Amino acid sequence: MAIMSAESGSLIVQPNDRILVTGAAGFIGRRVVNSLLKMGFYNLRCLTRPSSKMDGLDEVLRAHQGSTRVEVMAGNLLSAQDCVAAVKDVTVVFHLAAGRGEKSFPDAFLNSVVTTRNLLDACVAQGNIRRFVNMSSFAVYQNRHNPKGRLLDESAPVEDHPELRANSYCFAKTEQDKLVMDYGQRFGIPQVLVRPGWVYGPGNPGIHGRVGIGTFGVFLHLGGGNTMPLTYVDNCADAVALAGLTKGVDGEVFNIVDDDLPSSRKFLRLYKKNVKRFRSVYLPHVVTYYLCSMWESYSNWSHGQLPSAYNRRFWHATWKRTRYTNAKLKSRLGWKPAVPTSEGLRRHFESCLAGESHA
Amino acid sequence: MLNVAIVGCGKIADDHAEQIQRIKDCQIVAVCDREPLMARQICQRFPIQQHFDNLDDMLAVAKPDVVHITTPPQSHFSVAKACLEAGSHVYVEKPFAIDERQVRELLVFADARGLKVTAGHDDQFRHSARLMRELIQSGYLGGPPVHMESYFCYEMGRSGFAGALLNDKNYWVRKLPGGLLHNIISHGIARIAEYITSETPMVIAHGFISPFLRSHGEDELIDELRVIVSEEKGTTAYFTFSSQMRPSLHQFRAYGSKNGLVMDQDQETVVKLRGQRYVSYVEKFVPPAQMAKQSMGNAVTNVRRFLKRDFHMKSGMKFLIESFYRSIVEDTPVPIPYREIILTAHIMDRIFSQIGPNAESALAAVSLETALR
Repeated sequence: MAIMSAESGSLIVQPNDRILVTGAAGFIGRRVVNSLLKMGFYNLRCLTRPSSKMDGLDEVLRAHQGSTRVEVMAGNLLSAQDCVAAVKDVTVVFHLAAGRGEKSFPDAFLNSVVTTRNLLDACVAQGNIRRFVNMSSFAVYQNRHNPKGRLLDESAPVEDHPELRANSYCFAKTEQDKLVMDYGQRFGIPQVLVRPGWVYGPGNPGIHGRVGIGTFGVFLHLGGGNTMPLTYVDNCADAVALAGLTKGVDGEVFNIVDDDLPSSRKFLRLYKKNVKRFRSVYLPHVVTYYLCSMWESYSNWSHGQLPSAYNRRFWHATWKRTRYTNAKLKSRLGWKPAVPTSEGLRRHFESCLAGESHA
Repeated sequence: MLNVAIVGCGKIADDHAEQIQRIKDCQIVAVCDREPLMARQICQRFPIQQHFDNLDDMLAVAKPDVVHITTPPQSHFSVAKACLEAGSHVYVEKPFAIDERQVRELLVFADARGLKVTAGHDDQFRHSARLMRELIQSGYLGGPPVHMESYFCYEMGRSGFAGALLNDKNYWVRKLPGGLLHNIISHGIARIAEYITSETPMVIAHGFISPFLRSHGEDELIDELRVIVSEEKGTTAYFTFSSQMRPSLHQFRAYGSKNGLVMDQDQETVVKLRGQRYVSYVEKFVPPAQMAKQSMGNAVTNVRRFLKRDFHMKSGMKFLIESFYRSIVEDTPVPIPYREIILTAHIMDRIFSQIGPNAESALAAVSLETALR
């Protein structure tokens, strides 16, 4: 395991220091717990929602039984008291909990930004946090002024007006990032932002919107030859764990993508071959761009009779041809993907077949 | 130019802000939420000048002519009262208040100050609802309704709201006297209340937790409700709320002495039901063809409205807000008569008294109603 090669001298905490993982029962959270336990950090507090499905986390904890001091705490980050209890005696916070799948802006904001503010306030009051790892997303990058095919790395600008993308997740995540950086500046909380591409693997949807969308019984393939910014969930979890523990990276941003990224077209072909066959129609980029532009214009003209779900900002962020890099991740954190993309895709498709996720 | 403010910056506040933006001669001058971040986020997305985390501050500084109250229902009474005290007219989201007593008190309070109030029964003002009202008023039914059926269903699991509700035992909806039902059914009950003339109709309610919710460990939330409403004059109504039946209807049916009408909110259609029968086999052939013609007519009307940019999902809300503002500016009657708001609360109170852990039995309720007469 690449992660096991991290030398203890290069880390900011000792194995017995307490670490908090929020969203610990989630798709990525439970794998981050697993990565930390594998690295030998046994003093963990796993914060989960009272209603979280615990099967996955329980399985992880069973696999490490005996050698750990893991506390599973059910709590709500909208409660300031729960946040105070969660960060008690903690040295590193991995903040993975988020409002995913919320279509409404207020709901997404409440469950991402207000919760993060509560947690940060608790960290400030606690006063002994050595690092706050904030789970961000590629969704925050605007990619608008990046020439077609150009590399998107950590220096890329984020959305200046995320509300105009008409995507609640982008809005909430961009505001969450701003808040974390603001707390870092004002209160001196050391923080690292991690921005994964599309995290895939057993438990997540089979096909991402970057590949295309299913509508009226036809799958519109929109990604074409675009490189897919994939990261297999276990690889992503290793990267997140390292970002929280490695010395000398405070204030940094890390994009997370794997090696050997397939194109959207190749991904779709493999999906059809390994999971199920269905009809798809390819729409060239120029067509999708103008369709998004027309949708946006119609939405404005009709005063929102159709919400501006598809617009040019969304197109740039989702379907514009772009290249990605994990060079910073490798050079600064010593990360390398433990699961090769070919193996990751095999596991992903297998889980899709088994019905763990659906296209 | 009317200066408008919104108190409570959750999901429904977005709908209000969107619709207010589409109305001429008004502007949103301020929003308020106890959580400052929530107040700020709506200002980032809409052209709103100021945000506050204290209601008194907002009323004092922004001095709005109208305040839209979109907070959880438990606070409607106190927030509305504060706004009325400050001299603002109020639009209160549904449910208007916790019970009939609060509703009556607020309306008296507003009247005493010469201010106007409306309830967020915006579904009553969709295209289809307005057409149905016009047809009933024109006498199509042959008089007042003899019987009504109101369906107002809710698909559990499709929305973030349902997820939050099921996952959080402390969610505010659970603390309402009528739980989930309290937050949702007023749209469907208001439809019945519009045509009930008695102030104290008989109400018999039966509610239970669906097997689906029970299988998810739910032992509090009632998500299935059947109600009978009856008044002395002979008008009756059935109300159905279900989280499990499919299709998940939002429908209102009214039957008169001559004809009937069916309004479907989801499809935005109104279908006329002919009261007279054709002779013999003609009844088997002609009415189906007439129904097909009506369905096609509804589809064409909807397409036409869409092309004319007059088919927004929240068209009813825009119409209600616009009508309410007009009633303020021109000092004309409010779009929803206060009698209807009170009766809606009354019927809901009677329902909640008969379901849930501390309910009186339906039979006892019937006896009580009978005794009261």
